[in-house]
Amino acid sequence: MIDPSVIRPEIALGDFLPIFVSSALVLVFGGFYVGIYTAVKVKMLKPWFIALAYMFWLLTAYCLYLMGSLMHVGEFTAKALVVAAIGLILLPHAVYYMQDQVHKKNEH
Amino acid sequence: MAKKSVWSDNRFWQRSATWVTGFASILLIWLTFDTSAQIAMGNDKNLKDGVTKRVPGPTVINYKITYEMSNKRGHEVPIIGGNDGKGNSLFQQKEKFFGRDDYSEKEARALLHLGKLGSQAKNCMDCHTLLGNGAYYAPDLTKAWLDPAWGPDGAMQALTGKNTKEEAMAEFLQHPDQYPTHARMMPNLGITAKEAKGLVAFLKHMSSIDTNGFPRNFGKIKGAVHGK
Amino acid sequence: MASKYLTGTGSESKQLATWYFTFAAILFGAQLLFGLVAATQYVMPGFLYGILDFSIARIIHINALVVWMVFAMFGSVYWLLPDETGIETVGIKIGKLLFWIFAAAIVVVVLVFLFIQVGKADATTIWFITEGREYIEAPRWADWGIVVVALGFVGNLFLTGMKGKQTGIVTVLMADMIAFAGLYLAGMFFTDNISVDQYWWWWVIHLWVEATWEVFVGAIAAYGLIKMLGAHRQVVEMWLWIEVAMLFGSGILGLGHHYFWIGTPEYWWEIGALFSALEPLPLVAMFVHVLYDWGKTQGSEEEKGNTNSVINNKPAFTWFVLNAFGNFLGAGVWGFFHTLPQINLYTHGTQFTSAHGHLAFFGAYATILIGMFYIAVQGTNGIKVMKHTRASIWATSMITGGMMGMTVALTIAGYVQVIVSRAQMGATWAGYFDGQSGMWFQQAMDWRLIMGLVIFTGFIILAKDLLTTGKNPVHER
Ligand code: HEM
Ligand code: HEM
Ligand SMILES: [Fe+2]
Repeated sequence: MIDPSVIRPEIALGDFLPIFVSSALVLVFGGFYVGIYTAVKVKMLKPWFIALAYMFWLLTAYCLYLMGSLMHVGEFTAKALVVAAIGLILLPHAVYYMQDQVHKKNEH
Repeated sequence: MAKKSVWSDNRFWQRSATWVTGFASILLIWLTFDTSAQIAMGNDKNLKDGVTKRVPGPTVINYKITYEMSNKRGHEVPIIGGNDGKGNSLFQQKEKFFGRDDYSEKEARALLHLGKLGSQAKNCMDCHTLLGNGAYYAPDLTKAWLDPAWGPDGAMQALTGKNTKEEAMAEFLQHPDQYPTHARMMPNLGITAKEAKGLVAFLKHMSSIDTNGFPRNFGKIKGAVHGK
Repeated sequence: MASKYLTGTGSESKQLATWYFTFAAILFGAQLLFGLVAATQYVMPGFLYGILDFSIARIIHINALVVWMVFAMFGSVYWLLPDETGIETVGIKIGKLLFWIFAAAIVVVVLVFLFIQVGKADATTIWFITEGREYIEAPRWADWGIVVVALGFVGNLFLTGMKGKQTGIVTVLMADMIAFAGLYLAGMFFTDNISVDQYWWWWVIHLWVEATWEVFVGAIAAYGLIKMLGAHRQVVEMWLWIEVAMLFGSGILGLGHHYFWIGTPEYWWEIGALFSALEPLPLVAMFVHVLYDWGKTQGSEEEKGNTNSVINNKPAFTWFVLNAFGNFLGAGVWGFFHTLPQINLYTHGTQFTSAHGHLAFFGAYATILIGMFYIAVQGTNGIKVMKHTRASIWATSMITGGMMGMTVALTIAGYVQVIVSRAQMGATWAGYFDGQSGMWFQQAMDWRLIMGLVIFTGFIILAKDLLTTGKNPVHER
C-alpha cells in the first residue's frame, strides 16, 4: 500500500512532457540494448558494440528513474520499476543462452 | 550432442508455462471474488445505516452527492448526504430528484435499470467515456452529474429553460440537437421523457461510485492546483 | 523446403482458410472506410450528422476491426493445420458451413447497426439491435451465434490436433483458442452495476488482446519462421513455450491496469502497475527472437557458401518483421507510456489511449495477419520463392507510414488533452471542449485524417497486390 504521508502529490504541469518522453525512451533504449546485444551475439555486429548495448541499458535505467521520480510513484511501484529494469538486463542473456543451448543440441 | 540442459528442454518450458498460467489465473480468480464483493451494489439499508459502499444502492438518488478531497485517501471521493469534515459521508442531507427525495428501493432500482439499459441501447459509450472507458468524441460522463455546467451557475439550466439540474439534463437528452454548446453536437437518439429520467438517475448514481479519485480535481477549475 | 501441403489446392482446410482471409480483407477495408468517416467528423462535425453519427461510424470501425481479425485468425489456423498435423482438417465440411453462417450473421449485424442504429431502452434492443458496450456491441443473438461458430472451430482444431501430429504449435493453439472462445462469455450478460459491467468487459477486451491474442501471434510467428526461414522447430517451439509463460505471466494480472478507476479497490494500483510494467518484456523478447533466428539461419547458410536470402516469401516476412517491431512499439512502448496509475489518472480515456489502441492493434495483429494473407497467396499459387513487387512495397510503406503518422498525431492530441482538459480543467464538460478546440489538437485531428487517407490508399494497393501477385512471373516456382 502507498504510504499515506506521501499520498500522491500532484504532478507539476511542466513535468508531463518529460514524463512522457522519458517513459517512451525507457523502451526505445531498452530495445536498442536488446537489439544490439543480440546482433553482436549472432555476429551481425563487431564485439565491441556490446559496450554500446550496456550504455543503452544505463540510459533505460536512468529514464525509468527520471520518470518514476517525476510522477512521484509510491514505494511499491518504485520497486516494480527496479524489477522491470533488472528483468530487462537479464532478458537477452537468458534468451540467447537458451536458444544457443537448443541450437547446439540440435546441430551436432 | 551437447550436454543436455533443462534450459533447452521443451517439456520443462511447457510445464513452466502451464504453472505460470495456472498460478496467474488462480490469483486473478481469487482477486475477482474479493473485488466482486467490494463492488457489489449496496442497498437502501446501507445508506440509512451510514455504511459507505464503493457502489452505493440506487436510492442514493435521494441524497445530495458531492466530490470532495479526503485527506485520508489523498484524493477526491464521492460524499453522500454531507461531509463530516474529514472526508466521510454523513448520509443525511437529502436532495430532491424530479421533485422527490423519497424514492423507494424498488422505484429507484427500476429507474437505474431503465437508465443503464438506455445507456446501452443508445450507444452512449461510443461517443462518451463512462468511468473513463469508451469513445473520446464527447465529454467523460463519470461525474457528469456533478459538472458545474449543469449547476445553478452553469449555462445548461438557462439554456434548456429548466430550474433544476435533473430537469435540465433530461430536457437536453431528449432534444440535444436543440441545445448545441459547440459545433460538435450530440445527435437526437429518440430518447423519451421516461428514458431520460432513467438516464439521469443512472448518471447520478454513477457519480456516487468511488473511483479512487478519477477524475482528478474535477470541477474545481478556479481552486484547482493548476487552475488558470 | 516446400512441403507437399504448401499448395493450397487439394487441401480443403486451406481452401476454407482463403475464404476466411478474403472476407477478413473485405472487412478490413470496411473498417478503414468507417474510420475515415469518424475521423472526418472530428474535423467537420456536421458531416453525416443525424444520418450516420460518429457513434455508428465508430461502432462499425471497431467491430469490423475485431471481426476481421478473428476471421483472419481462424483462417490462419485452418491454413497451418494441414502443414502441422500432416492430415486434412477433421470436420472440414462443418467448418465450411459455419463460415457461411458466420459471414451471414456479420452482414446482418452490420446492416442493423447502419440502418436501425439505436433502440428503446429495453431488453429487445440488447438482444436484436445493439449491446452498446464498446467493441462488443453486437446484439445478444449474434453473441450466441459467435459462440456456436467458435465452438465448431475449436472442435475442428481439437479433433485434427488429436488425430494428426500434435506439434508444440498446435498444442499451444488448442489451449489458447479454448481460452479465447471461453473469454467471450464474460461479455454476454447485462447488469445495472456499471462497475461490475466494466469489470467483466475488460476480461474480454484485455484478456483477448494482451493474453490470448498475443499467444496466438506467438504461435503464428513460430509457424512463419519455420515456414519462411526454415528455422529449427525445436528452437522455435521451445521459444514459444517461454513466450506463453511470459505473456500469460504478465498479461493475465496486467488486467489490473484497467481497474484503477472503475470503482474497483485500490489494491489494483499495485497489481496493475507491477504486472503491466512487465508486459513489454515478452514483446522485447519476441523481437529478439525473430532477429536471432533470422541472423542464425542466414549465417549458417552463408557458412555453407550460399549467399542467397533464406527467406522464401519476402512480403510476408516483411510483415512478420513489422509485427515483431510493431508489437514492441505499439503495445510495449505506447502501452508502457500510460500504464502506471500515477500517469493513467490523467491519460485515462484521452487520445493517448486511442494512439496506443491504434498502434497496438496494428502493430501486434494487423501486420502478422496481412503476412498470413501473403503466405496463403504463395501457397495457393504454388510459388517457391515469392518476391516483393512494386505494389507490395508501396502498400507496406504507405500503411505502416500512415499508421505511424496517425499515432504521432493522436499522441500530440492526447498531450493537449492531458494538459488542458485534465490537469488544468479537471475533466469537466467545459474543460473537455477547451482541450478539443486548442490549435494543436485541431491540427492533430487534420493530420490524423490525412494519414487515414494514406493508409486507405495503401490498403487499396495491398488489395490489388494480393489479388494479382500470385500470377506475377517474377516469383520463382
Ligand atoms: C497487442 C497488445 C495490445 C493491444 C491490441 C492493446 C489495445 C488497447 C486498446 C484498444 C485500448 C483502449 C481500450 C478502450 O477502448 O478503452 C487499450 C488500453 C490500454 N492499454 Fe493496451 N493494448 C495492448 C497491449 C498493452 C500493453 C502491453 C500495455 C502496458 C504495458 C497496455 C496498456 C494499456 C493501458 C494502461 C490502457 C488503458 C488506457 C486508458 O486508461 O484509457 N496495453 N489497449
Ligand atoms: C483509415 C485509417 C483509420 C482512421 C481514419 C481511424 C479513425 C478512428 C477514429 C476516428 C476512432 C475513434 C476514436 C475516438 O473515439 O476518438 C478510431 C478508433 C479506433 N480505431 Fe481507428 N482508424 C483507422 C485505422 C485503424 C486501424 C488500422 C486500426 C487497427 C488495426 C484501428 C483501430 C482502432 C481502435 C482499436 C479504436 C478504438 C480506440 C480506443 O477506444 O481507444 N483503426 N479510429
Ligand atoms: Fe490492457
